Amino acid sequence: MKKYRIAPIALVALALGACATLPEDAFRLSESALELRQLQTREYDGVTDIQILSASSGVLQDLGYAIDEIEKELGVLSASKRASAEDPTEIAGMIALDMADCLLTFFLGCENESYKSAKDVQDIRLTLVVLPDPDADNTHSVRVTIQRVVWAKGGALHSQETINDAEVYQAFFDKLSKSVFLEKEGV
Amino acid sequence: MRIFLVLSLLILSGCAAQTASITAGGSQVALRQIQTREYNTLDKRGTLRSVVATLQDLGFVIDKADYELATISATKLQNYEIRMTVTVRERDSERLAVRASARFNEKPIEDPNAYQDFFTSLDKAMFLTLHKVD
Repeated sequence: MKKYRIAPIALVALALGACATLPEDAFRLSESALELRQLQTREYDGVTDIQILSASSGVLQDLGYAIDEIEKELGVLSASKRASAEDPTEIAGMIALDMADCLLTFFLGCENESYKSAKDVQDIRLTLVVLPDPDADNTHSVRVTIQRVVWAKGGALHSQETINDAEVYQAFFDKLSKSVFLEKEGV
Repeated sequence: MRIFLVLSLLILSGCAAQTASITAGGSQVALRQIQTREYNTLDKRGTLRSVVATLQDLGFVIDKADYELATISATKLQNYEIRMTVTVRERDSERLAVRASARFNEKPIEDPNAYQDFFTSLDKAMFLTLHKVD
């Protein structure tokens, strides 16, 4: 039965996805743009841009990222990694749903559709930009933006989004601060 | 079952009109105009940095950045995908031209309003570059 409930939704999604129009605000600064910029930015003094870039690639390597692009003239670094996106609670829930479906359809609808829609792996990409402070020597701001594409167990696209979670950025900068310190001390 | 038929028709016919590609010379010139803005500065580095900052503000992640070729490519993912390339070149002895081209999912963006919005966002970031006191 579940199949027939999902099919029209899937078709609408397909219709919208295939012919979706550009959202009006795609190129407009959102009201939260300034707030986001603040939680994505930290300042470091007493270090050169090269030291920050080195410290950053060190942290990213620690975290299992591969560096895709560095342009030191502009202080731009991009990196990516593939990681698990599995959520045990979600998976347990989906398996329970599938079992219920299977039983309710007298074993005709045992295709594990719910399990296949659960999160599986994610491709995470980030950009880190080092900007010199125009008013102070050897003071730089570092801004990180992160986005991810999540794939479902069945192989379909689950979601794609920009990460706006303050804790994620806080955790990254905690690690970067340590790495910058080590770079400064020449460890 | 009728809903399947309607939805299938929507899928099949909905995009048919949107597959036009730019082949005519006239529209190519028009598109360039829509995608280009000139700024009264020769500060290539400052302009490129403003472009990067604007793209970050708009939720893009930078795919490629090249200072010498003055080209930035970036992607925005928000349950849709926008891929954008921005190039900066010297227009004349006093001005730089910034050109942005983007595609939304599989289609090139030709809507002037989208580029207008992008340059309005960029103008804000360019303010400091344009008014830098040497």
